[in-house]
Amino acid sequence: MDLTVPEGVLYGLIGPDGAGKSTLLRMLATVLRPDAGEAAVFGSSVVREPDRVTSQIGYMSQQFCLYPDLTVAENIEFFARLRGVPKADRRTRAASLLAGLGLADVTTRRAGRLSGGMKQKLMLATTLMHEPKLLLLDEPTTGVDPVSRREFWQILARVRAEGRTVLVATPYMDEAERCTHVAFMDAGAITRRGTPAEVKASLPGRVLEVSAPDPRAVLAAITGVEGVRQAHLLGDHVRVLWAGDATTELTKRLAAAGITAAIDDVPADMEAAFSYLAQEAG
Amino acid sequence: MNPRHVRLLVWKEFIQLRRDPMLLRIVMVMPFVYLIMFGYVVAADVTHLPTAVVDLDHSVTSRQIDAAFSSTAYFDVKDRPTTEAALQTLLDRGDVRVAIVIPEGTQAALDKGQVAGIGIVVDGADSTSSSVGTSYAMRIIGDLNQARAEALGAGALPGVDARVRVQYNQTLASVNTMIPGLLASVLMVTLMIVLSQAVVKERESGTLEQMFTTPVTRGEYLVGKLLPYGLLACAQSAITAVLGTWWFGVPFTGSVWIVCLGLLLFMLTTIGLGLLVSLVSRTRHQAQQTIMFVMLPTFILSGFIFPIESMPAPIQPFTKLIPLTHAVVILRASFVKGSGLADLAEPLLYLVGFAIVIFGAAIVAVRRRLSE
Repeated sequence: MDLTVPEGVLYGLIGPDGAGKSTLLRMLATVLRPDAGEAAVFGSSVVREPDRVTSQIGYMSQQFCLYPDLTVAENIEFFARLRGVPKADRRTRAASLLAGLGLADVTTRRAGRLSGGMKQKLMLATTLMHEPKLLLLDEPTTGVDPVSRREFWQILARVRAEGRTVLVATPYMDEAERCTHVAFMDAGAITRRGTPAEVKASLPGRVLEVSAPDPRAVLAAITGVEGVRQAHLLGDHVRVLWAGDATTELTKRLAAAGITAAIDDVPADMEAAFSYLAQEAG
Repeated sequence: MNPRHVRLLVWKEFIQLRRDPMLLRIVMVMPFVYLIMFGYVVAADVTHLPTAVVDLDHSVTSRQIDAAFSSTAYFDVKDRPTTEAALQTLLDRGDVRVAIVIPEGTQAALDKGQVAGIGIVVDGADSTSSSVGTSYAMRIIGDLNQARAEALGAGALPGVDARVRVQYNQTLASVNTMIPGLLASVLMVTLMIVLSQAVVKERESGTLEQMFTTPVTRGEYLVGKLLPYGLLACAQSAITAVLGTWWFGVPFTGSVWIVCLGLLLFMLTTIGLGLLVSLVSRTRHQAQQTIMFVMLPTFILSGFIFPIESMPAPIQPFTKLIPLTHAVVILRASFVKGSGLADLAEPLLYLVGFAIVIFGAAIVAVRRRLSE
């Protein structure tokens, strides 16, 4: 495992479940001690100087980690005061964060009674109160509705625009797309890294979309065809990672199976890159 | 240790307490319920009462009396002091609960055909043992008189007349025995139950992890956690003590300082135990079960309900390993007997030892387990 995250980037961490993304983030947040090895946050060791690390980071774990019996406002106040945020800053920051995340109306509600998405937003707000230089987010938008996810990412973009760094683990490839850098992690190791464009460009082939009335039949017909590096169902069509040049062989096979299908070239996206990398790793 | 952090943690804990009305209600109602339950408790079988025989007569009869007490399972003759002053010390320290005093001239009086008076002194601080002990002693004396009359072949000869003197808890009210012990028991139940949940609850909710990404140190966290519940336990003890002395009329003749010192040491021990359970438990459920497992033997072995002297001999040494045992001794002696520091040095030292070992272990465990 070797990863360098430059300052001021929005770094996405992707990879199959159990790859070790959460473990990596927890070690960087100093809540988990590495058995071996070393990591530094802004030059401070997470093992030897955890106090110097924690003062500069904001960590949001995967599970809800605030007090369910304290209200929204009390949770924010409590953690901000623990981190020594001055009173005046607390008030202005809390107001702007709560408004930006649509939580302004629920400040007196107990955190445990919020919906799943609201809980995540409250955690983000709590994590941002002390304006950390590095944000470590572990699948922060799980259970969050699409509109709220957009609000989430707007805030992350703003954080980055202020010159701060974000390292976020995400299961959503549209989110990975919005990162400046991504790293694909598998079995505790980084197997691919770069900008999303670079990662997508590293795909060995083009992405094709094969549409037909019965996509399952399409999948059955083309499986094993030379040049098909990967094929899977996506909605009502089949996504194919095609390593060949012309698609004549593919059309021939489909015709032999009695299928008339439309084959379109589509731009490679992170979804395709993820599938390929996961398959290669597995 | 940053006092600002601790204050904040305590503030948070109090808000949480206020939001958990059930817990608060249970804690505050518990003294009443327990007082009613134990305030009217009835005795169990009493045997092996630690006994002293003070033989000032050195005669055949006095030896007969001594032998009669030595040969029954009800009394264990532990000591034979030669003066009444020495006896007093034994009673003050709680080494013996019953004493038979055979005055000089007993044999002479009997020989002259007069009634000879002997004294039976019982320690009323443990009302169960003392009231039962008195009736056993009277029966033994009665048997002796009868045997003597039969041996001499005469009818109603004047014999030995036993006069009972109850020391300390003269009315032999069982409340005077139960309530002082209850003070420690209520404290223990509350602290163990609440604290066993304290850390594991935060571990389960993930807030523990979040806490350690803040500048809060483990020490601050601990103090912030324990202080509110310590205060709560003090309030609860105060309720128990006030109700006990005012409603049940339990006398208080000892030193408030010794009681406070004893309770403080006992509290540290209990907090340490609760904390240890909380630290090693993975879930709240697990913590609860562990506490139940610990609590029952503690109650049974502590002498709070059943007199230790009546327990089987192989079990008795184990009662010393129960912190509550020593707390109960200190509280009973302080309320009813007015014992001083010197009399209570042994149980106090035991509690000091427990506090150091158990609370110390909890601190070590905090360092290890909190970061897992």
